[in-house]
Amino acid sequence: MIKKLEKILPLVQKPARYTGGELNSVMKDKEKVDIRYAFCFPDSYEIGMSHLGIKILYSLVNDRADAWCERVFAPWPDMEEKMREHDIALFALESGDPIKDFDMIGFTVQYELCYTNIINMIDLAGLPLYSKDRTALTPLIVAGGPSVCNAEPIADFVDLCMPGEGEEITNELIDLLKIHKKKGSTKQEFLREAAKLDGIYVPSLYDVSYNDDGTVKAIKAKDGAPATVKKRVVSDLDKVFYPEKLIVPFIEVVHDRVTHEIFRGCIRGCRFCQAGFLYRPIREKSPETISCQCEHLIKTSGYDEVSLSSLSSSDYTQLETLLDKLLEWTVPQKVNIALPSLRVDNFRKDLIEKLTSVRRSGLTFAPEAGSQRMRDVINKNVTEEEIMSTSRKAFEGGWTAVKLYFMLGLPTETEEDIKEIAALARRVVDVFYAMPERPKGKTVAVNCSVSTFVPKPFTPFQWEPQLSREQILARQELLKTTNTNRKVQISFHEMHVSFLEAVFARGDRRLSKVIENAWRNGCKFDGWDEYFNFDVWMNAFAECDLDPEFYANRTRSYEEVLPWDHMDYGISKKFLIRESEKAKQAQTTAHCREQCAGCGADKLNGGECDARCKNLVF
Amino acid sequence: MRDVRIWFSKSGAVKYVSHLDMFRLMTRAVRRADIPLWYTEGFNPHPYISFLQPLPLGVETCYEPLDIRIEGEIENEEIKNRLNAVMPDGMHIEAVTQAFCKPAEAAYGEYKIVLDAEDISAEEVVRIIENGGLTCEKSAKVRGRKGTKIVDVSAAIHSYEVKQENDTVVIFVTLPASPELTLNPLQFLTGISNQYGTVLYPLEASRIRLLCADMSAFS
Repeated sequence: MIKKLEKILPLVQKPARYTGGELNSVMKDKEKVDIRYAFCFPDSYEIGMSHLGIKILYSLVNDRADAWCERVFAPWPDMEEKMREHDIALFALESGDPIKDFDMIGFTVQYELCYTNIINMIDLAGLPLYSKDRTALTPLIVAGGPSVCNAEPIADFVDLCMPGEGEEITNELIDLLKIHKKKGSTKQEFLREAAKLDGIYVPSLYDVSYNDDGTVKAIKAKDGAPATVKKRVVSDLDKVFYPEKLIVPFIEVVHDRVTHEIFRGCIRGCRFCQAGFLYRPIREKSPETISCQCEHLIKTSGYDEVSLSSLSSSDYTQLETLLDKLLEWTVPQKVNIALPSLRVDNFRKDLIEKLTSVRRSGLTFAPEAGSQRMRDVINKNVTEEEIMSTSRKAFEGGWTAVKLYFMLGLPTETEEDIKEIAALARRVVDVFYAMPERPKGKTVAVNCSVSTFVPKPFTPFQWEPQLSREQILARQELLKTTNTNRKVQISFHEMHVSFLEAVFARGDRRLSKVIENAWRNGCKFDGWDEYFNFDVWMNAFAECDLDPEFYANRTRSYEEVLPWDHMDYGISKKFLIRESEKAKQAQTTAHCREQCAGCGADKLNGGECDARCKNLVF
Repeated sequence: MRDVRIWFSKSGAVKYVSHLDMFRLMTRAVRRADIPLWYTEGFNPHPYISFLQPLPLGVETCYEPLDIRIEGEIENEEIKNRLNAVMPDGMHIEAVTQAFCKPAEAAYGEYKIVLDAEDISAEEVVRIIENGGLTCEKSAKVRGRKGTKIVDVSAAIHSYEVKQENDTVVIFVTLPASPELTLNPLQFLTGISNQYGTVLYPLEASRIRLLCADMSAFS
């Protein structure tokens, strides 16, 4: 550790965020590698170290002898202040070296509200914010993660994006950079070559023109870049790289356990859910592979919990087989299995019982909407009966607290739909009291967490407006006054945050100025209530002469050129329009195993989709 | 079932691991080492792992006790070897012994503090300690509420020694570490800083060992 750092560490909160040296972190001799890669997570250490993707890609790059991947997180504001005061540039945790001397700096973009953190980190590294002002080939600044499906708001800051899954493209990119670094190519020469790789988007090779009304007129590729950029997918999850060791943080992080992805994609097609479309097609990992990899990771980490991760775990076709396999070794080793993302409709009691044989965590369900009509509009194919029977099973299984997720401001929503949220929660409470052998002396708690609907790209609702802030407030008020049951707690997600998300999710390139302005006026860690400053943001829009409501609250036509139209995530626009029209009629679409809806994502995987070839088991 | 005392050292990045996080770190290390732990009974079994004397953030240690309860046959030497094979950098198991002393028998801690000679000279440190009147604030319960109290550091110093070594000033000091009063080296340094008028940051602070009331080594 450098002496300068040693002196400031005692002055900041949780210094172990900045020291590195955790178990299973990778040290290499920097003289013996060709490419040094700084993998940045633009949020706190605790959030970043809970993320599975960074762990996979970290191990993947470090598996190569010629490259060294190190981690970087956004320093907490107290640390940033000390770093600026003592002239310490942003450094990587493993070596402590400044990342401006690295060959590649990669950001994983998990949500829109980390944009200010990204440019703050570029600035802390001592580099110019805009790609055009960084003229040397290295350090190359790249971005990946779900939010690069529309990278336009940050397109001017980064040199290239990697839409889709990173397991293959990361290595291909490193190979290419290694060649061009040796050749002494210019940044332009390199970027033109990189754009030829499948799954690489170089924003500077696309010219965007605008109509007088502010909408996008055209997006034109130049210098040999492809007209549309296809996202990358991995075809076989049993063969794809998976880490053998996980870094074990010194301090407690949000998800402090072994996380294992059991399948990618989602068969459900809920119309508001971006992840449900972005990660298609469906690809399952076999129970044998999962169990074997988990057991190994538990051995090398010493963790006492395995979390099975996916968008909807009960849709994994071999869940029972998998649990049996896992329980064989988790019970004697006193390892807990966490199974988040269960669905209401196929939640099974025998399954709960298997899990309670180890340890029990909280129970959360996401009906998303109160009325059946509303749930049909969003294609959340869950009936009231299923919600009630699941609650009953949960209460019978010993749970006394249930958390329910809802969304407010969904397309076509009426006052009746909102009142139904409170009514539904009340009926769940009634289920508890209707139980003849309910636990004596125990009360029930139904906690409703209500967020504001954010229309996202690559969903059937991508053309929909978000409700105005006044309308949202009024509806929140209505819901609050409708609920009179004391066992039902309703909490709302900060509405202004959802508004900004709606702006940036479907934003265009002109927004980079707004991000820069807000950051210069102190915005960072926007996802954190204590740092979120809405007024500064609104001021930034005004100073840049851009109307945030143009992005968030406007209905778009199917004909309008969308800022992300040059991105190909497999999902066809035809399919999205079809789904959008069905939503307006409150018509549902069956899940992918019942009948293929023809979304088009299978063509990314040579026509293969695990939703189609597997037999129904439910 | 038997209790064993594990003596460990920690230096480098690990010194910033808090007391609570140390507990998690050791629990995982013991699991990785596959040491047959004794678990509490009941719905939520957990192992018995107990740190005797918490160390403040940023303080290293040379020989620190930690008690665990084990089940089954395993030699102390085997426990030590297995643990050392799975410890993170900076953590090392120095010895595994029987738990001779009771936790409450610990009375003093012997510390080493290294300062930058650019910040203060050895003579100045000695002068300040000899002048007396060192105090520091310590969090304490005041009439059942969380508050702070002023502790007389000078009265608590058992013995000390100050040396100039190249461009550093090295202080050895013995401070109370008993249930009645515990002072850590950073609080001692705060006492000096208060008198000196400038905040001193240590280049290094470490606990050398724990002592019993009769100044014999805590074992």
